[in-house]
Amino acid sequence: MTQQTLEKKIWVYSFALIVIGLAALYSASYNNVRVEQKIFFDQLKFAGISFLVMAFLGRTDYRKFYDGAYFFYFVNVLLLVMVLVMGRHALGAQRWINLGEFSFQPSEFMKLTLILMLGRYFAKRRVHLSFNFLSKTQLLVRDLIYPCFLTIIPMYLIFKQPDLGTALLLFGIFFVMIFAGGLSYKYIFNLIFLCLAFFPIGWNFLRQYQKDRLLVFLNPNIDPLGAGYTIIQSKIAIGSGQVFGKGWLAGTQNQLNFLPERHTDFIFSVIGEEWGLVGSILVIAIYFLLILSILDIATHVKDRFGVFVCMGIAAILTLQVIINIGMVMGMFPIVGITLPFISYGRSSFLVTALMMGFLLNLSRR
Amino acid sequence: MRIKILRVLIIIVFIITLVNLVYLQAIRGSYYYKLSKNNRIRLIPMEGWRGRIFDRQKVLLADNQLSYNAMITPQDIKNTKELFLFLSSVLGVDRYILEENYEQKTSFSFAPVVIAENITREQAIILEENKYRFPSLVVSESFRRVYPLGQNSAHVLGYVGKVSQSQIEKNQEYGYSPLSFVGYLGVEEYYDNYLRGGSGGLQVEVNSRGQQVRLLSVKEPLKGQDITLTIDSRIQQKALQLLDEHVGSIIVMDADNGEMLAMTNAPAFDPNMFNQRKSFLSVQRLFSHPLAPLLNRSIKGLYPPGSVFKIPIAFGGLDSGKIAIQTTFHCPGFYEIGGIKFKCAHQHGAQNLYQALTHSCNVYFYRLGLLLGADSIYRYAKIFGLGELTHVDLPYEKSGHIPYRQQNILSGKKWYTGNTLNISIGQGDVLITPLQLTRMMATIFNDGLEVQPHVISAIGNHQVAAFSTRQQSWFASPVSRFIKESLRNVVKSPEGTAHILDIPGLNVSGKTGTAQASGTKKDHAWFVGYVKGESRNIAFCVFLENGGSSENACYVARDLLNYLREKEIL
Repeated sequence: MTQQTLEKKIWVYSFALIVIGLAALYSASYNNVRVEQKIFFDQLKFAGISFLVMAFLGRTDYRKFYDGAYFFYFVNVLLLVMVLVMGRHALGAQRWINLGEFSFQPSEFMKLTLILMLGRYFAKRRVHLSFNFLSKTQLLVRDLIYPCFLTIIPMYLIFKQPDLGTALLLFGIFFVMIFAGGLSYKYIFNLIFLCLAFFPIGWNFLRQYQKDRLLVFLNPNIDPLGAGYTIIQSKIAIGSGQVFGKGWLAGTQNQLNFLPERHTDFIFSVIGEEWGLVGSILVIAIYFLLILSILDIATHVKDRFGVFVCMGIAAILTLQVIINIGMVMGMFPIVGITLPFISYGRSSFLVTALMMGFLLNLSRR
Repeated sequence: MRIKILRVLIIIVFIITLVNLVYLQAIRGSYYYKLSKNNRIRLIPMEGWRGRIFDRQKVLLADNQLSYNAMITPQDIKNTKELFLFLSSVLGVDRYILEENYEQKTSFSFAPVVIAENITREQAIILEENKYRFPSLVVSESFRRVYPLGQNSAHVLGYVGKVSQSQIEKNQEYGYSPLSFVGYLGVEEYYDNYLRGGSGGLQVEVNSRGQQVRLLSVKEPLKGQDITLTIDSRIQQKALQLLDEHVGSIIVMDADNGEMLAMTNAPAFDPNMFNQRKSFLSVQRLFSHPLAPLLNRSIKGLYPPGSVFKIPIAFGGLDSGKIAIQTTFHCPGFYEIGGIKFKCAHQHGAQNLYQALTHSCNVYFYRLGLLLGADSIYRYAKIFGLGELTHVDLPYEKSGHIPYRQQNILSGKKWYTGNTLNISIGQGDVLITPLQLTRMMATIFNDGLEVQPHVISAIGNHQVAAFSTRQQSWFASPVSRFIKESLRNVVKSPEGTAHILDIPGLNVSGKTGTAQASGTKKDHAWFVGYVKGESRNIAFCVFLENGGSSENACYVARDLLNYLREKEIL
């Protein structure tokens, strides 16, 4: 597969997802008081900006990202601290930072920053390996403990906001990066068991609403008008779309405000209801093709940093798509994770555009 | 290598997601589709226009009047405290009562709650003018049942009230909703299905908070059908006036076809009370009143008929051949059996049947009763429809009771000769309704053709004509002729017990009755009869509960007949 076709594919899939997202958003905010129409135009504006960002990133020297990776990480962690200190409250959590008119979520950017940082970390590490100077313990510290520590800092800050979803995503990134970095399977499996063992302890650190959500996930009917409401209404929305959907702007669950947060985390419910199975499969197929293309790029890229970053981006997109769609279908507990390029949200949108721009850059190498 | 593994993992999770999606949308899709439909549609029932009720001269007996209700739409309330203070000052009702009322009635936030019914036009205007301050205020117009003539025909009409839980269950398939008004007693209940028409409603689409998003459809409630009765409200009014000082009932029925011209009971009630908000206490008093004003005595009151019961016995004696017209018994003023004296009103001396009926001699009928026997009396009473439902088109009619020897024995009680004697003069356990006696008189007048009493004349534009008649074929014409002559003689003969009813130009026949009431109360006074008139033949009944001597009933009957003639109804 030529590099040019890969580049074209990234463009086409991104464009398709953005258009679908805009159409869904238009419907979600159509003639409605709860979700204002202006968010559609806001997203439209950001789509334009994103294309510019993608085009620009595609042409810059990507070594600059390698060089700046640690710096970005440092700045991003600093911003996360700032969020906790002075961030803007919304929806019961502190996730935003105001910069004049523009507010953004550092936690969203942390996803890309962490990929870059760990990518650089593992890419650099290879040089020493051939000498075999280090003991097993030193290797373990270097390959696992240290990157884990670097991940846990932003993870904890994001968890404190509280944004459980993004915090777990960061852990997912970390996991895929150590996997990509070549850590032996023995350690990977040990890590998985360790995480499972940690789960009951972690339960106590969760806030009440997070516990509620997890319990409700197990049985949405325990509180059909409270915490379970969202899951039930979302399932009804998607299910009632059946095969061909109720038609654009005609989804009753959506248009009648039965769907909470339908312009952000629950945008897929709108698609499922109005466009049916056909539309849902189309969206998933585009994501699938996009992610496979990213892996194709990974196989073509010569340097290790590029490979790790591609794998990291492929993984984060997969996680976001699967968890988001899974959660609106009731397969996962509700954690605030957006659907890339489709959910409304400037930071999320911009970060996805940055990732795509980065991939465009890599596909040319 | 690790890229390939990652690729495989990604493919697997995508396939899992896809399978779930297919299951949710394709396989379970129709189930969720149904759920989504129920999610959003609510029905608000709407009351229809209830059919009006007219009397035979097209005088309005029951009408619907525009009334105003103050309502609040919960979803639009801005300042609760201010709103209720304002309402309290306009309506003159305590604020806390209003608030309590509101909280009790609130169901959906989009469904307006009736806070005060039947407010005055002035109050409605004030509320309308302040709508800009309180957007949740709604002044709705609805129809209130009114009975222009008040107590006139109250028992025939019944009243209208909120449907009760038992009524809902009973009438579920007819589409009653909890908000419905329904007829109680009388024509309002009996012909409720025609009067109420089809109930309609609003189909409203709501959102997750239950707020109205849009109106999907309006099903205009079908208008109920107007009903025309055979009742003549003029006679009713007169009857009401005549019974003013009494407890009892007056029935006037067209003897030829069973049309009820009048059916008035006293004490009566004003059906308008049931839809006035402030009259709650008065309604309570109606239900607990010792004289039971709600009771339609004509069809539900059970009384001993007294001497009126002598008619079927006389008929039975002749029909069975136990006596002949000329059979004579001696009346010493009492009849003694087993050491107990059964009294008569006078010492009539030798009496034949003709005289015995005219004078209403008890001794004659004691002896005749013994000749016939209790079971025979029972059979003849039934032939005249006594102790049986008349099937008049009004609800909750009672059949009464004619004692039956077999029945008494079966229930373990002994049957004494004294029982038979009591029955022979319409006392004891003989219990009938005034309407049964009225119909009996019509049957006698028609030589055995039994008509069915009814109050309905037309539903909408359709005349109601299908009323069964029954020819009592065993009415032997000589016997029948004799009975009619005797009844005519009761009025015509100067010695007759109802001679005061011998109104010149009116051919009145009938029978008086004075029935002992239970305990120390005064006797019941009866006069039942028929008139062969120029324009119409009627059977009628005047009954005064604890009214004393039958003479009192005769006086009332005289005034009634004079009135009928005056108005050229007869």
